Amino acid sequence: MNRTQLDHLLKIHHRDAYLWARQCCSFNDDLAKDVLQQVYLKILEGKATLNDEEKAKTWIFSIIRYTAIDHLRKTGKFISIEDAEEIADIEEEVDLTDYKAIINLLPRMQQEVILMVFYHQMTIEQSAEVLEISLGTARTHYDRGKKNLKKLILIAQTKAENGK
Amino acid sequence: MENNDQLNWFFEQMKIKDETLSIPPVRSQKPKKINPWIPIGIAASLTLICIAVWFEKPIPDPPAEVIVITLKQGKNHRQEITIEEKTHLETWESSTSSLLTEY
Repeated sequence: MNRTQLDHLLKIHHRDAYLWARQCCSFNDDLAKDVLQQVYLKILEGKATLNDEEKAKTWIFSIIRYTAIDHLRKTGKFISIEDAEEIADIEEEVDLTDYKAIINLLPRMQQEVILMVFYHQMTIEQSAEVLEISLGTARTHYDRGKKNLKKLILIAQTKAENGK
Repeated sequence: MENNDQLNWFFEQMKIKDETLSIPPVRSQKPKKINPWIPIGIAASLTLICIAVWFEKPIPDPPAEVIVITLKQGKNHRQEITIEEKTHLETWESSTSSLLTEY
């Protein structure tokens, strides 16, 4: 794939790539811009190569995710809660319109699978490829993520109704 | 059939909110490439320095500028004269200094 084709590919997926980078950086816009810049450099310098053009989105998402994790680790902002299954206790008020806060309460892997499936309209199989995990593991994160997110939405709804 | 209405509604609302986000433009990226003339230039300079050092001529000794004539008393109280060529004088004694002490 030559430079022009790569430029074209990045332009097509730019909006999705930015939103995904933002989601991987806990919705921090500045971090997301830095990460995306690094990702585009990696791609254009040939450090990451695409073998199957049909998997372009999965490929870009995967590079973004790993670059974001690297970036967060370097800046000391990466907190791995991958092994956690359940959501943390909610002590603060959860605002139903504050989707960032609600999603950030989910364990990282669950967040990622749920965002890819529900927000980016990808399949569980594609999200498994991005996360480089087995389909079975991705399904487990998907089920747990759904269950936890429903619980969080319900809590936020109840709090909103009680507050009225 | 899964009931994901609640989740679909949640993410629809999220997408509506994200519509207001300003997406940064795709910045034109130029991959970093090293100019091939730079390493060639460095290699050429090093080669020239090595050649210059290798063929450097030894610095010749500077010509003698002082002729030192010394009068010494040798064996059997004979006087001996030695003549040396030097670039500088280590000690100097006036030829008439003896007049001050040996009178």
